[in-house]
Amino acid sequence: MFQYFLRRLLLTIPTFFGCTLVVFTIVQLAPGGPIEQKMMQIRAAGQESGAGSATANQTIPQSAIDELKRQYHFDKPWYERYVIWLGLYPGEVESFKFKLGETRLIGGGRSVIVQKSNNGYQVVDASNPSIVLEGWEFEDAKSDAGEPLVRIVRKEVSGIFTMDFGTSYKFKKPVIELVADRLPISMQFGLIGFILSYSVCLYLGILKAINHNSTFDFISSTLIFIAYSVPGWAFGAVLLVFFASQSGFQIFPLGGFQSDDYFDLTLWEQIGDRAWHFVLPTIAYTMAGFASLTMLMKNSLLETLSQDYVRTAFAKGIRENRVIWLHAMRNSIIPIAAHIGYIIGIFLGGSYLIETAFNIEGIGKLSFEALLSRDYPILFSFTVISVVITLLAQIISDLAIALVDPRIRFK
Amino acid sequence: MKNNNKQSSQKPLTVNQRRWRKFKTLRRGYYSLIIISICYLISFFLPLLINNRALIVHYNGETYFPAFRDLMDVPGLKLLTSPPFISGVSLGQLGNEGECNYRQLQEQYEQDAASDNYVIMPLYPYGPLEDITAGNPAFAAPLEEKEGAAGRIFGTDDRGRDIFARMLYGFQVSITFGLILTILQYLIGVPIGAAMGYWGGKFDMFLQRFMEIWSTLPVLFLIIILVALLNPKSTIFQFTMLLILSAIFAWLGPASQMRAQFYRERARDYVAAAISIGVPTHKILFKHILPNSLVPIVTSLPFAVVSGITSLLSLDFLGFGLMPPTPSWGQMVSVGLANLTNGYWWLILVPLSAMFLTLIAVVFIGEAIREAFDPKVFSRLR
Repeated sequence: MFQYFLRRLLLTIPTFFGCTLVVFTIVQLAPGGPIEQKMMQIRAAGQESGAGSATANQTIPQSAIDELKRQYHFDKPWYERYVIWLGLYPGEVESFKFKLGETRLIGGGRSVIVQKSNNGYQVVDASNPSIVLEGWEFEDAKSDAGEPLVRIVRKEVSGIFTMDFGTSYKFKKPVIELVADRLPISMQFGLIGFILSYSVCLYLGILKAINHNSTFDFISSTLIFIAYSVPGWAFGAVLLVFFASQSGFQIFPLGGFQSDDYFDLTLWEQIGDRAWHFVLPTIAYTMAGFASLTMLMKNSLLETLSQDYVRTAFAKGIRENRVIWLHAMRNSIIPIAAHIGYIIGIFLGGSYLIETAFNIEGIGKLSFEALLSRDYPILFSFTVISVVITLLAQIISDLAIALVDPRIRFK
Repeated sequence: MKNNNKQSSQKPLTVNQRRWRKFKTLRRGYYSLIIISICYLISFFLPLLINNRALIVHYNGETYFPAFRDLMDVPGLKLLTSPPFISGVSLGQLGNEGECNYRQLQEQYEQDAASDNYVIMPLYPYGPLEDITAGNPAFAAPLEEKEGAAGRIFGTDDRGRDIFARMLYGFQVSITFGLILTILQYLIGVPIGAAMGYWGGKFDMFLQRFMEIWSTLPVLFLIIILVALLNPKSTIFQFTMLLILSAIFAWLGPASQMRAQFYRERARDYVAAAISIGVPTHKILFKHILPNSLVPIVTSLPFAVVSGITSLLSLDFLGFGLMPPTPSWGQMVSVGLANLTNGYWWLILVPLSAMFLTLIAVVFIGEAIREAFDPKVFSRLR
């Protein structure tokens, strides 16, 4: 059992690298990256300030472009960028060009001087030259005018593995803060939808299996076909029309996950407010995995019920409930356990559609908007998060199978 | 029919004939198949039924067929490249250098009783792309309809385009996408899965790792990234690109199904017998194993079509699907959601009901096929 999981865990590592590499490469190769964006900003700013002067198509000096490339690590080949992004290899965090002996401010409000030392250069504090600052590397550089300069570079191992997801271009905030704000919102919907669909679907599936070919089975099958053929966001749109818009009953809010005056409410009112906002999106979420789960449960139980050992149990005179819940369920639940990972994946995958439909400020909508504004750090973080969750879901799936199936547990 | 029955009593039915018989008895699926097929066939002639261009224009002794030009368009991608139009001036519509407004032209000819000019409009004389509200006194603005703008069924969208026409045109685009995507994904997935199952070994292991990575990727999200980054300029390119991108991720399903099938069949005695008498490998693969492995493929086909349509609609809904102004249900819903507060319920419900009816019909077909191919009889004793 332990070995099995160890192997399973180890297998996720290459998958993680493979997935992130694919996403990273696709996005990096594509045009319209951060450098182009920055250059456009600079051009726009230049045009504003230099309006009137005949510099309509201003060229940005090559040195500035090089500087930008450095800043976003685009001076390195893509594989180096990838390992820097992962946080496995030191990447440049800051770099400054110095004239020897010049006093300048660097990050953190420190003013420093770069001096020649016995083995190359050193950075010293401007107010107290005996303090030598560590952690800087030195490169020879040239100014635009061709004067010799010294570039000081600070490198740091910082990336996904050190929980540094970068800073959002648009919000100017660390991505991890943005995600931490919004992930709980998405998780709440996902979890409630997950629990609801499991509790409803399993019971419905069992009922359908027991009453196979009855009127109840037929009617619920039709409902399941509807749930299968309409995607969650479309169902959400219908719900909005009927229960939130002027054309229907205005019972529920049109979107969002809490009222504007949420923080002025008492605790109980807050809970009520949340619940009120949660009803429609949660139904939409639940629909996502509803059909497949119910049919899986039904078919699986039906198949078990036609087995000989169930017949024997009935023949022995055991009560029907006991046969179904104790004898048959034990075996029928195995495919359901295997399905957990898939369902978790669905809840994650559908999140940006439903969050867009209901205008919920969750992680899905955040990343969707990041996509529109080419906010790469958020995009990458979202892919990493979704890959990790999918991998976790697969492991949870395996765990669940092992829990319900002793044949696997003792292999 | 009688003759057919006689034959069948003499000769035993082949398995496929039996399946087809069984399928025909499953009314829900059988009728869905008939209805969907007829609708799809008709949809190729939609420009003759629903169009703002006239079927026939007779002007000063000459006859024109403007709507027929739309038929020449690539099927499934109609309206994407607008065919050259006949200007209003050349048909006697004074001062209209642009495309002739045939509804006005019809009124104009009718008032002029002396001439034998006439216009025959299609059944529903509004197109999916034209802005009906422009210069039309019956409308205050897009979405807002005054009394007396009769003859139209569901009103207009935010750009004054007719919802009913767009809804019907959206059907063809969706089904075409779903069908082509399904074919593509099976064309990629089946050979790969078959090779993996048959040869196994390192090749299989390597590809399995690859498939695991591929299936872990956030698919819809990646497609959106790629669409946004490739930023196609023509609609046909966009349509093809969406198809290819979706197929790149969708082949995993058929591949793993096929792999399991070939893996199982390869261990059977008949394959060993074929190998031992020296049947060439390609014959074993295609003539011996493939026919025995097709059942799960056939039964999952309709569901692949459903998921293909759904993914296109989702992309359209997010604004990364087919290029505007291609009529698409997903785009219509997103317009509806943006205008939800104004009470234009039809903007959402019309495309969604079309989508719902289409998808549920395909699901019914799928259920019936599954039952016809895989008749599980559950015997329960108690």
